Amino acid sequence: MSEITRMVVVLSLIAGVCSAALTSANYLLDPYVNKQTDFYVRGPALERLFGKPAEEVLGDKIVVAVENGEVPVFFMKDDETVSRLAVEAVGKGGYGGDIIIMIGVDLLNGTLTGMETVRHSETPGLGARIEEPGFRRQWSGLPVDQPLAITADGGVIDAISGASATSRAAVNGTNDVLDFVAEKKDEIIKQIAEL
Amino acid sequence: MANKYIDTLTAGLWKRVPPFRLVLGLCPALAVTMSAENGLGMGLATAFVLTLSNGAISALRNVIPGKVRIASYIVIIATLVSIVEILMKAFFFPLSLALGIYIPLIVVNCIVLGRAEGFAAKNPPLLSMIDGFSVGTGYAVSLMLIGSIREIFGAGTWFGMAVFGEAFEPMTFLVSAPGAFVTIGALLALQNLFSRWRGEKFIQG
Repeated sequence: MSEITRMVVVLSLIAGVCSAALTSANYLLDPYVNKQTDFYVRGPALERLFGKPAEEVLGDKIVVAVENGEVPVFFMKDDETVSRLAVEAVGKGGYGGDIIIMIGVDLLNGTLTGMETVRHSETPGLGARIEEPGFRRQWSGLPVDQPLAITADGGVIDAISGASATSRAAVNGTNDVLDFVAEKKDEIIKQIAEL
Repeated sequence: MANKYIDTLTAGLWKRVPPFRLVLGLCPALAVTMSAENGLGMGLATAFVLTLSNGAISALRNVIPGKVRIASYIVIIATLVSIVEILMKAFFFPLSLALGIYIPLIVVNCIVLGRAEGFAAKNPPLLSMIDGFSVGTGYAVSLMLIGSIREIFGAGTWFGMAVFGEAFEPMTFLVSAPGAFVTIGALLALQNLFSRWRGEKFIQG
């Protein structure tokens, strides 16, 4: 075997074995990561969106089936009527892959209550600033019947400087939630009532 | 024979202790040692990667062609670091938040590649793993020491427990970035003085 072929074969083999190891680690540990994320990330996010302690709201969860998967929806009740929802969404097109965000919807007033990030792999210092309250604050009080856009696209959301892709991904995720809630609102309320 | 193993095992504690004798891996030593807990966590993560990467690289040392050895080492090290990152997210979530970007950056930590190139590439797997373990432990102890000094005097606590009474005014400066340079500088100076007093050579492999 010539030297070049040997180099290519060895390097490819190492890369292949390493990818397999990583994939299996990711797959096996995913439930544990999810549990920890529930506790340390989703809990505090729900606390901010609902203004209630995490233990009270984490259990109020339904899973709504859509064409391409399932959407976790958390809810809060005011005197038996469902007043607020928190819908988890995938923001497609982030710089470091998809961004998982949670959007709070106030059903009584027809406004958004906020945006929270659950998981992302954006660049620290640039896209990762999506977690900062200064950026997320822009979501609260927006009407649910209009799609969002960043200012460069003629909308109202000021993008994070140097991270337009991240900002657009967050906005896209929000728009998916708006469509989802508009379309499935009755189904969600029915599903909650059946619990 | 047995002597060689014991020599390698104890070398990491003084002769090859990374931040002070080898003066390697200073970036995480400066950046994440705000508290003893962060220092220890970072050190243990590095030690884990170092032990396994030394073992893997040493086992493959006759298979990997010389021209692509660095690339192969980096692939192996990067895989191990990613596994550590996932493990931390799964079981020590708050620690992984506190260490943040420095966990993925273990990949480019000079110690890991340095031990791979300098030791694992020339020695059998068991001995290399012992070397990785001992250097890694030395690193973890050093980071914990730096973190302890900064936490005790900078925040008045150790692993989160209050050390001094109410009257203690913490030197907040030590917890910020300049404090890291001052602490490490002072420890390096002490190490140099001690080595000179013992008449040791300064650069040792």
